[in-house]
Amino acid sequence: MRRVVITGLGVVTSIGTGWQEFWQSLLEGRSGISRVTSIDTSDYPTHLGGEVKGLRADDFLPEEILSRYCRATQLALVAVIKAIEDASLRLVSPVAITYGITTGPVQVIETINDKYVRSETPYENPHLFYQLPPNTTVSAISEMLNIQGPTLILSTACAAGNYAIGWGFDLIRLGRVDLAICCASDAFSRISFTGFNQFRAVAPERCQPFDRNRKGMMVAEGAGAIVLEEMERAIDRRARIYGEVIGYGLSCDASHMTLPSVEGVVSCMRKALKEAGIGPEDVDYISAHGTGTPANDRTESEAIKRVFGERYRSIPVSSIKSMIGHTMGAASLLEAITCALVVKNDIIPPTINFETPDPECDIDCVPNKPRKKRVNVALNNSYAFGGNNASVVIKKWALP
Amino acid sequence: MSAETAEVVVTGIGVVSPIGTGKEEFWRSLREGISNFKEVTLFDTSLIEKSGSSEGPLNRIVAGEITEFDASEFLGKKGLRTMDRSTRLLCVAALLALQDASLQITEEKSDRTGVSVGATYGSLHSISQFDRSAILEGPRFVNPSLFPNTVINSPASHVSIRFNIRGFNTTISTGFCAGLDAIGYAADFIKMRRADVVLAGGVEELCEETLMGFHALGMLAPQNGGTPLFFPFDSRRQGFILSEGAALMVLEERDHAQKRGVTPLSIIAGYSNAISYSLEESLMVSIQAALEMSGMGTEDIDYIASGANSTKETDLIETRVIKRVFGKDAYRVPVSAVKSILGETYSASGAFAVAAVTGALQWGFIPPTLNYNVRDPECDLDYVPHRAREQSIQNALIISTDPYGNASSVVMKRP
Repeated sequence: MRRVVITGLGVVTSIGTGWQEFWQSLLEGRSGISRVTSIDTSDYPTHLGGEVKGLRADDFLPEEILSRYCRATQLALVAVIKAIEDASLRLVSPVAITYGITTGPVQVIETINDKYVRSETPYENPHLFYQLPPNTTVSAISEMLNIQGPTLILSTACAAGNYAIGWGFDLIRLGRVDLAICCASDAFSRISFTGFNQFRAVAPERCQPFDRNRKGMMVAEGAGAIVLEEMERAIDRRARIYGEVIGYGLSCDASHMTLPSVEGVVSCMRKALKEAGIGPEDVDYISAHGTGTPANDRTESEAIKRVFGERYRSIPVSSIKSMIGHTMGAASLLEAITCALVVKNDIIPPTINFETPDPECDIDCVPNKPRKKRVNVALNNSYAFGGNNASVVIKKWALP
Repeated sequence: MSAETAEVVVTGIGVVSPIGTGKEEFWRSLREGISNFKEVTLFDTSLIEKSGSSEGPLNRIVAGEITEFDASEFLGKKGLRTMDRSTRLLCVAALLALQDASLQITEEKSDRTGVSVGATYGSLHSISQFDRSAILEGPRFVNPSLFPNTVINSPASHVSIRFNIRGFNTTISTGFCAGLDAIGYAADFIKMRRADVVLAGGVEELCEETLMGFHALGMLAPQNGGTPLFFPFDSRRQGFILSEGAALMVLEERDHAQKRGVTPLSIIAGYSNAISYSLEESLMVSIQAALEMSGMGTEDIDYIASGANSTKETDLIETRVIKRVFGKDAYRVPVSAVKSILGETYSASGAFAVAAVTGALQWGFIPPTLNYNVRDPECDLDYVPHRAREQSIQNALIISTDPYGNASSVVMKRP
């Protein structure tokens, strides 16, 4: 069986661009939540979000290229550039490109709608429509890096990043490619901000996963990119290896569009462990989906208890969404990057804003301070609208 | 991994389209070459008609709309209220596919069954309506029960919920290639033993937003007073007629089908996709990889179902690549455009092509290319004009290209 390792990481978030800055912020427990400026929030009940501010995309890409793309694509391109740079890689095709999104070019849709409601005919702007399908992003990546290879765009909402990593992993294991660039991005979206606010699911002040007084999630934006590489190839070129992807699991709740289900999440984690060829006793860290909504955190805690039995309190479970908010399609990819850094460095980032324990969430959420701990295996959980669940298993890498 | 030895077969087909509901009606329309394009009634098209270079009188827009579609006839009334059109189309296709495959998703089978759907603009209307309601009425007056429809995976997820399918649920948004990509992804999952059965295909609904999008990009055929200039491969071709529908196939491993006592309709022998700086390059790479996986050479292929949609570039590029890959064989193999009959269903089109080719393999005919009259010197293959050709075929190649540079191929076999 071919083995798949992680050799490059690229990050764009509200707490840092590039994994070094991001990791530093995670360990400091820095929050990237701020007042939303990309839309007027005066008619909304809440006003905070996780926008990426001060990103100078033109430090990475020429303006003439940037101007062709909407924000979701720009964020993805910067993340991919950082990941390729980090992998110090000379790309030789075929290279797979997998991309996870929730809505993708949502900014384009919103611009079209702004014109539409003013009865302007937005159709006379072909440039706008050119950016509408999410193919724009993979096409831009392929062109920017001058690479050819298999591609998929996985639009499985808030679990899309893990799906994108999963398919890249499959392609390398099946021997179809030796290299895969797996990325995911979503821009700050008026549609998400509206929807989650109408769901009463947005926290007014801060995101407090697993806290008894948690009031909800934070709508955010971001992008992540991971370079996956066939292990022998990575060893031969003396690449820096962050960790190994050893399996993943998917499941579907098949019960409700928005309410998470304990059974669905349990099944997803179990499948991931089974495929990875390990048992619950082997897991040292769980990167939680941990949105900070009452329903999610309760369901996830319950599912963790079922899968890990008596051991559940001895496994650290943290949510970086407490710091960067919910970056939608990008979330699980950024969390996979976090897992790679955890197994590499044996430090676990905290769940910040934690004050009051919730008896229904009595897992160990690594409150407020990072923790040093040897982590051999990390489990990265993600759940999405539609009951689409995905968990990826990342292991500390050692020379075979 | 025994991935390369497993054989993935089609054991059930569910289609909802303007040219027929259910595989028999769909295949009959293809064999008889009967299209069904009409003036759009689903929404007001005047905004689009007024825009652009509207020289001469305004034309009503013609499309492949599924008229008199009533999902409740199939699904009952319960749960339909908040389902958008794409979701209804896909759920009906799922029901038909499961019936066709004589498959009951029991509690034991649920975890071993998956859903893989190609959809890119399928939720665009729901997303836009939700957003516009927030702009016009204010964010506090938006109906929250419509928010779940704003994720692209909503139609596929509803299929899982309605038919209790818990194995996995994936939505793929690679534009014109998404239908074929969803089928390739599903076949891989079966080969890797992640699932025993997958409902795989695609869906797109006809809506104002999608229509205006393709219109703005100049990809729609000029309306020409109600008879659009829609002629795949013909030198007069100027764009496509937009259409809609859902197609889902029940895919399973051959042994699994045998154990259930079900006869396969067709075999998915190979598949691949690629993206690159050049669409021609992508298509070439994907055809070669799909042939290689199927263990076939170009000489084994009896029919090519092209993704030609009457746009200048697509038809030309597909023709060119067929010639590059097939060499002299290119002139021997019949190549036709199913879209000449069905219209352009975008992310569902690859799934419809798999359904169509299964019919061609089963019934022994090659679907025609309608309206092909004036030869383009650069498009000079055997396009099977006007009438279906009664001919037994063993192996067929399906291709699909997207202007953004990605291309997909599937090789199918008669069981």
